[in-house]
Amino acid sequence: MTALPRIAITTGEPAGIGPDLCVALSAMPNAELVLIGDEPLLQERARHLGLDPLDTSAGISIQHIGLAAPATAGTLDSSNAAYVLDTIRTAALGCQSGDFDAMVTAPVHKGIINDAGIAFSGHTEFIAELFDAKPVMVLAADTLRVALATTHLPLSAVPAAINHDSIVDTLTTLHEELISRFGIAAPRILVCGLNPHAGESGHLGREEIDTIIPAIETAQRRGLNITGPLPADTLFTPHHLKDADAVLAMFHDQGLPVLKYAGFGNAVNITFGLPIIRTSVDHGTALDLAGSGRANGGSLQAALQLAVQLANAAHSPSTTATGR
Amino acid sequence: MTEKPLIGLVQGDPAGIGPELMVKLLSDDAVRERANIAIIGDPSVIGRGESVVGHTIDRHHVSALERDQAAGQILHLDLAIEDIESVPLAQVSAAGGRSSLTGLETAFGLSANGIIDGICFMPFNKESMHLGGNPFMDEIGFARDYFGIDTAASEFNMAHGMWNGRVTSHVPMREVPDMLSEERICQSIELADSTLRLAGYDRPRIVVAAYNPHAGEGGLMGREEIDIIRPAVKRMQERQMQVSGPFPADTLWLKVRDGEYDVVVTMYHDQGQIAIKLLGFDQGVSLLAGLPVPVTTPAHGTAFDIAGQNKANLDPARNAFMMACDLAQGLSKAGGWYTQT
Repeated sequence: MTALPRIAITTGEPAGIGPDLCVALSAMPNAELVLIGDEPLLQERARHLGLDPLDTSAGISIQHIGLAAPATAGTLDSSNAAYVLDTIRTAALGCQSGDFDAMVTAPVHKGIINDAGIAFSGHTEFIAELFDAKPVMVLAADTLRVALATTHLPLSAVPAAINHDSIVDTLTTLHEELISRFGIAAPRILVCGLNPHAGESGHLGREEIDTIIPAIETAQRRGLNITGPLPADTLFTPHHLKDADAVLAMFHDQGLPVLKYAGFGNAVNITFGLPIIRTSVDHGTALDLAGSGRANGGSLQAALQLAVQLANAAHSPSTTATGR
Repeated sequence: MTEKPLIGLVQGDPAGIGPELMVKLLSDDAVRERANIAIIGDPSVIGRGESVVGHTIDRHHVSALERDQAAGQILHLDLAIEDIESVPLAQVSAAGGRSSLTGLETAFGLSANGIIDGICFMPFNKESMHLGGNPFMDEIGFARDYFGIDTAASEFNMAHGMWNGRVTSHVPMREVPDMLSEERICQSIELADSTLRLAGYDRPRIVVAAYNPHAGEGGLMGREEIDIIRPAVKRMQERQMQVSGPFPADTLWLKVRDGEYDVVVTMYHDQGQIAIKLLGFDQGVSLLAGLPVPVTTPAHGTAFDIAGQNKANLDPARNAFMMACDLAQGLSKAGGWYTQT
C-alpha cells in the first residue's frame, strides 16, 4: 500500500460521548480519518466543547449522513436510531468496497435502537449480519486477548447456546486471525470451562464433558494448540496467562471484566470472522458525560491505533501472515 | 470478650503446605500476641512442619481441651488419624482427606461447646477429601450440615480489604438462574452487612453485581436485574443498609479495587472468584460466614508444587488467622451473626 490507510470512524449515538470523542481526535501522521455522521452535529459539538472547527484539510474529513431529528447531548431520541445504523452500514460496506481500509466504532445505545422497533443486540452482530458472517468478539489489550464463545444474550441462555460446532468454529477463526492479523506464528489458546472449577469432573455441571472437551479435541486434531478447559478463576492468573496468546471465554462477563480491572492496558474490541477490519471502543455512550468535555478518549485512541496497525498488516503480508 | 479469643488452629492436608504454614504462624509474634491458640492436629503433622521450617514450637499437649488452660501457652489437642504418618508429600490420599475432615469436625464440636471462639484451618485438598469420605461439594456444605443451619451461610473471600460474598457458589451455571430469588439475594446482602459489621466496619458499603451482561441492558439481555435483583437491593436499602446496584460486573470491580465499596455480592462463583484471585491472590482469605463460629482459611490450596520446601507465602494464612480473631471478638460482643440488623 502506498497511500495511507483510510479509517472510517462511526460517530455513534448522537446524544452520547461518541461525537465528543470523535471531534477531539487529532490528525494522525500514518492514517487518513473519515468521521461518519451528521456534519452540523459534529461541528456544533466541537464548538460547544470549545474546540476549533474540524479542519477537514488536515487528514480528518467528515462523510455526512443526516440526523432525522436534532440531537441534544444526554437525551436519547428513538427517531435517530435508523441514522445510527446508517453510519455503521456505510462504514462496513465502504470497507468491503475498498473505500476504507478499516472501521472503528464509537458507542451506540442498544436500548434506544430497540425502542425504535429495530431488533439490535450489538455492533458485532449487526455487522456480521451484513456479511452473513459468523463473528467472533475479541477484546485485545497489550498482552492479553480474550475471545467470547457467546456474546450479548441472557446468561441463563448461555449453557444452551454453547455447542461443539460453534466452539470449534470460534477456535478456528481465532487461531487463523491471530496468525493473519497479529502475526503470531503458532498461537497458543487457553479455553475456560463454563462451570465453577470447570465442572469438577461433572460434579458442578456437564457442559465441559459433553461439549467443551470434545470440541477442544476436534480442534486439537486439526492441529490447533489449545489447552483447557481450565477453571476460569485459575486460568486468569499470571501463571497461566504468561504462556498464552489468547483466551476463549464461554460468556461475556467471564472474559471481559478481567481486561478492565487487571491493568492489561487499554482494551480494544475487535471483531474476527468478518471480511473487513473492525475495532471498537470498550465503553458505552456515557450519556451523563456527553457534551461535558470530561469523557476519556483513551479507548478510542487505542481502537484507532489498532485499526491502523491491522490495516497495514493486511497490506503487507510478508510481515504477518506467517501461516498462510 | 475482653480477654483474648481462643482460636482453634486446625491442620489441613499434611501432604501440602499446611504443616509448614502452621509452624510459621505459631512462630509469628503478632499471631501469638493476638489470641490464645489451640492446635487441633496430629503431632506428626506439626512435626512435619517443624522439620521443614527448622523451628520447634513450644506447646502443651492435652487430650481434652479446656478454656482456662489456654492463657499464656499454646495448647495442642492431639488428634490421632489413622495412617497419617504415611501420607506422602505432595500427593492425594484418603488419610490426608480424613485429616482435614476430622480436624474440622473436632473444631466444630469444641466451638459448639463454647470452648473455642474461632477456627482457622489450613488448606484442604478436595480430591483427598472425596477419597476420605466427604459427601459435600465444599466445606460450607459440611459446616451447614454439622450445625443444622438452613439460613444463607456462605463462603466469603477477602483480599486487600475487598470482600466478596456469593448468592450461589458450587453449582452448575445451568442451575444458577433457578436458584436466584429476591429472598436469597436479600439474605446474601444481609449476610454481607452483618459479616462486615462483625469485622469492625461501622456501616459497610455494599455493592451488588448484576447477573446478565451489561446488567441486562434494560431487559434486552435478561430480566433478573429488573425482576429480582433490583427489588432485593431496594428492600435492603429500606432497612437502612448502605447498598447499591445491580451494576455490570465488568466495571464494578474497578470501583471496588479503587475503594468505593467494601463488599461485593456476586450472583455466581466465577463472578467473584476470577476478580479476587487476580486482584489479591497473594493475600486472600476465605471465610465461612453465618455459622455460629467464624471459620477462616487461606484462599489458596495445598500447593503440592512447593510443599515441603519452606517457600510458602505466610500472608494469606496470617490474614485468615487475624480475621478469625476479629470476627470472634465481634461475635462475642454482638451475641450472634445477625443481631445488629
